[in-house]
Amino acid sequence: MTWLTSHPLSFLVFAPALLGFVILALPHALGRLSRMLGFMGALAFFALSLAWLLGHGGAVVTERAAWFTLVGLPVDYALTVDGLNLWLVLLTTFLVPLTMLGTWNSLKDRIGTFAALFLMLETGMLGALMAQDLFFFYLFWEAMLIPMYFMIGVWGGDERRYAANKFFLYTLGGSLLWLVALLYLANKAGGFNPTLMGQAASALPFGVQCWLFIAFAVAFAIKVPLFPLHTWLPDAHVQAPTAGSVILAGVLLKLGGYGFIRFAIPMFPQAAMHYAKPLALLSVIAIVYGALVAMVQRDIKKLVAYSSVSHMGFVMLGLASFTVIGTQGAMLQMLNHGVSTGALFLLVGMIYDRAHTRMIADFGGVVTKMPVFTTFFLIVTLSSIGLPLTNGFVGEFWILNGTFLSGFHWGRLYACLATSGVLLGAVYMLWMFKRVFWGPENKDEDSGTHHLHSDLNAREIAVLLPLVVLIVWMGVHPKTFVAASEAPVTALLQDAKAPAPRTFVLRPAVHEAPAHAQPAPEGHAEPAAHEVHR
Amino acid sequence: MNLTPSQWAALLPLIIPALGACLIPLMALDKDQATAKWIRAAMYGTALLAVGASFWYLTNLWNTGGQPSFFQLRMDRLAQFTGIFVLVAAALAILQSWDHFHQEGWVKGETLSLLLFSVTGMILFASTTHFVALFLGLELFSIPLYAMVGTVRARTESSEGGMKYFLTGAVASSCFLMGGVLIYGMSGSLDLSAAAFTIKAQGLALDPLVLVGAALLLVGFLFKVSAAPFHQWTPDAYEASPHPVAGFMSVATKGVALIALLRVFPGSFGPLGAVGVKMQAVVAVLAMVTLVLGNLTALVQSNVKRMLAYSSISHAGYLLLGLVAGTPAAYHGMLFYLVIYLAMNMGAFGLLTAFGLVGEKTTFDDLRGLGWKRPAMGVAGAIFMLSLAGIPPMGGFYGKYMIFRELVGTGHVGMAILGVLASLVSAYYYLRLLVALFLQAPSAEAERLASDRPAVHAPLAGATVLVCAVIVLAGGFLQTFLADGFARRALVDGLGLLR
Repeated sequence: MTWLTSHPLSFLVFAPALLGFVILALPHALGRLSRMLGFMGALAFFALSLAWLLGHGGAVVTERAAWFTLVGLPVDYALTVDGLNLWLVLLTTFLVPLTMLGTWNSLKDRIGTFAALFLMLETGMLGALMAQDLFFFYLFWEAMLIPMYFMIGVWGGDERRYAANKFFLYTLGGSLLWLVALLYLANKAGGFNPTLMGQAASALPFGVQCWLFIAFAVAFAIKVPLFPLHTWLPDAHVQAPTAGSVILAGVLLKLGGYGFIRFAIPMFPQAAMHYAKPLALLSVIAIVYGALVAMVQRDIKKLVAYSSVSHMGFVMLGLASFTVIGTQGAMLQMLNHGVSTGALFLLVGMIYDRAHTRMIADFGGVVTKMPVFTTFFLIVTLSSIGLPLTNGFVGEFWILNGTFLSGFHWGRLYACLATSGVLLGAVYMLWMFKRVFWGPENKDEDSGTHHLHSDLNAREIAVLLPLVVLIVWMGVHPKTFVAASEAPVTALLQDAKAPAPRTFVLRPAVHEAPAHAQPAPEGHAEPAAHEVHR
Repeated sequence: MNLTPSQWAALLPLIIPALGACLIPLMALDKDQATAKWIRAAMYGTALLAVGASFWYLTNLWNTGGQPSFFQLRMDRLAQFTGIFVLVAAALAILQSWDHFHQEGWVKGETLSLLLFSVTGMILFASTTHFVALFLGLELFSIPLYAMVGTVRARTESSEGGMKYFLTGAVASSCFLMGGVLIYGMSGSLDLSAAAFTIKAQGLALDPLVLVGAALLLVGFLFKVSAAPFHQWTPDAYEASPHPVAGFMSVATKGVALIALLRVFPGSFGPLGAVGVKMQAVVAVLAMVTLVLGNLTALVQSNVKRMLAYSSISHAGYLLLGLVAGTPAAYHGMLFYLVIYLAMNMGAFGLLTAFGLVGEKTTFDDLRGLGWKRPAMGVAGAIFMLSLAGIPPMGGFYGKYMIFRELVGTGHVGMAILGVLASLVSAYYYLRLLVALFLQAPSAEAERLASDRPAVHAPLAGATVLVCAVIVLAGGFLQTFLADGFARRALVDGLGLLR
């Protein structure tokens, strides 16, 4: 027990994989027991993470020790939970058991192996989120691919092999080039400590810094995924089994954005600032393009996948704005997207398990068959659109606000363009919703609607309820989820010497005007006010 | 002739396997090994005993730190490292070949005798800088290998591959011999280190004959390493040979040739700076060509053994990159890489035996769905493939990491980028094996055939596969132990590098 209290993070990171190996060793016939064991374990890890991490009130928890030194470069075993990753860690530990429960009966064969891989994936994700040494981070970042590869490849749809290979190679390609950059910088810094590497980077010529930043950015942007590096995502999402899609959208994509805010931006502030405009431009393209492509999809899951491209575009736009409110919005939007899109994929999985089709045209009038399901779907849809009082609104509003106010000259234009993405989001989601749920019941014998015999059962409602609670909670009182990251984000932008945001005043008089001149988001005016004073 | 104990100590690791090799053919003189299983078992037992005794002796020597020598034969730490490396590969190959030859229905104990002679030659080759001894070692390990490639005479492809390997190998050997002759002619010394000093003292380092001599020596080494453009024999020879022999060749030949290359080029020819620089440039170009050729050709193979052959060519490319970086730390990385490479390649070839694939039936299609049928073998296969592709947390990643780190550190960033792109390409064909093992269901035809045949029974091969998987994983999690405790000490005490 004493080891546990002094190494909570190590336990959280590695216990899932250990449990996974135990489950993997169980005989094939014990699949149901394995699944139960995996779920109980994941639930326990969630409970422990809540107790340990929230117990500290968001204070920094660190474990650091020298691990090994190879070819002259020391590698640290360093895990940290601080304001930047606290909620992402909790989101991960939360989504894993929830997804297991939500897809309880979706898979028919090799359920024990799936549970084992899922737990190993949890280790990879938690390790990548917590690692504070870039080599250590790289190990988790790459190792994460292995379970996901098998999850897509073994339990996926018809094109699963293509999708799994594409996912694996795409991500590997980005991170291998990044590895070269990492080695180059580690060579200058004499180690993989991000702080030392950042210092070494600042001593390099600006051109070199830019190249290094690009290598970092490409590796992370593939994961986000940022236009035009997003092409693996629709394939992977559509082919992956429901649980895989939920985790892919819920956590794996976040790691890209998290990589930017944790490593790429703090280590190369000047280069990041230099490339803020292209990054923001690509984000705006992703927002609008993702929304437009989502609009014409015939497969609900593919539509949700493209909506992910659009929503993650917002995250990148918020980061590229280099304002506190925009970055905080990006942090929140990452959580939002994890909850809302995760819920959407779960819902799509639930209807797919019943109807064995995901084509929009196969449905119609679902509301008459499944009223409870429709209610949940509507709430999640509205959250995804960004209706006020739901989480989507707050995140997108802050991001657009931050972009509009940012010190960059392009801020206002891009904010306006990105706002059209919100509008388009409402169009594709509501249009899809209308075609699937409203209207006359699809009487065709082969249609999906015809095969819907039962509404949600208690298990499924138990899965969706916490998500809906979170959606509302994050929409009404987002401070719970962003308070921890405010200080680190502010410090980060200060260190980066981000251009001061513009202030808009109604009167030319300067004194004490800004505080109320700025539109403050509902329930959380502090970051905005803080921003203006800086 | 009276030998001092120290001289005996240097010779024993060579004498033991050679003695075993002589003993094995005698055992079946008046017995029919095709019918008497116990005589086959006795031959295998003798071979394992010889390998084990030599291994035990060398590890003892390693632990005591003694570095005895017999004239120009220096059993230093590097030679001991090579010996342990080769003997482990040989032991794995012997165990696998018991199962494989029974599956092929062609068990000849004499193959083991050839294998042991080859082992003797390999240890000799890596423990000297005297040209005659070097050449003796080269031939002693090559000639038995030519025969072993064609050992399953029932298969026609087998003798074809063996013949091809022999003819090309003979050309390479003669190049090596000519190179040595030129160096000897210019310096009047057969010992390459002494020759290098003489040449330097006479100011002949850039003499065309010296350069040609060094280049011809290099050709001999690169042929054994199977670097482009001397790689063409590799896929044919591997495809023709029995799986364990292919595994042994891919690992031991490559490893020994690289270690001897290290001993001769950066080692003995170290004083001849100019020669070293020129050779390094040549190696740099060839390494890149090897990486590109090996990886791209591997992409389109449908036979697993040919894929593994091209993969072994591309691994020669990565290993040569270490030589390009040319720092002691890079050599350290190469040796570490070799240790992991031993485990993952012997494991990958052992997998074929463990799955009971014989003859030409080694295509990706033949492997379909086997990962689920034999989960332990499947997981091991996944470990080998991911490690070969260099995905952490497997050992193969650390090997590449050490070499690339030195490449970047010495300013060869472009080559490092080429290297990582090559390993991206390689990931695709390694994944193909995983696709076959886990992601594809066996065809109905294969299912029907499998139900007709008796279940595959290959306990020894299976055990070697598991051992290899454990080594690969150990390389990923206990990398310091292998890298510093083993590879590094070989370099420090053997070549006097890395002080």
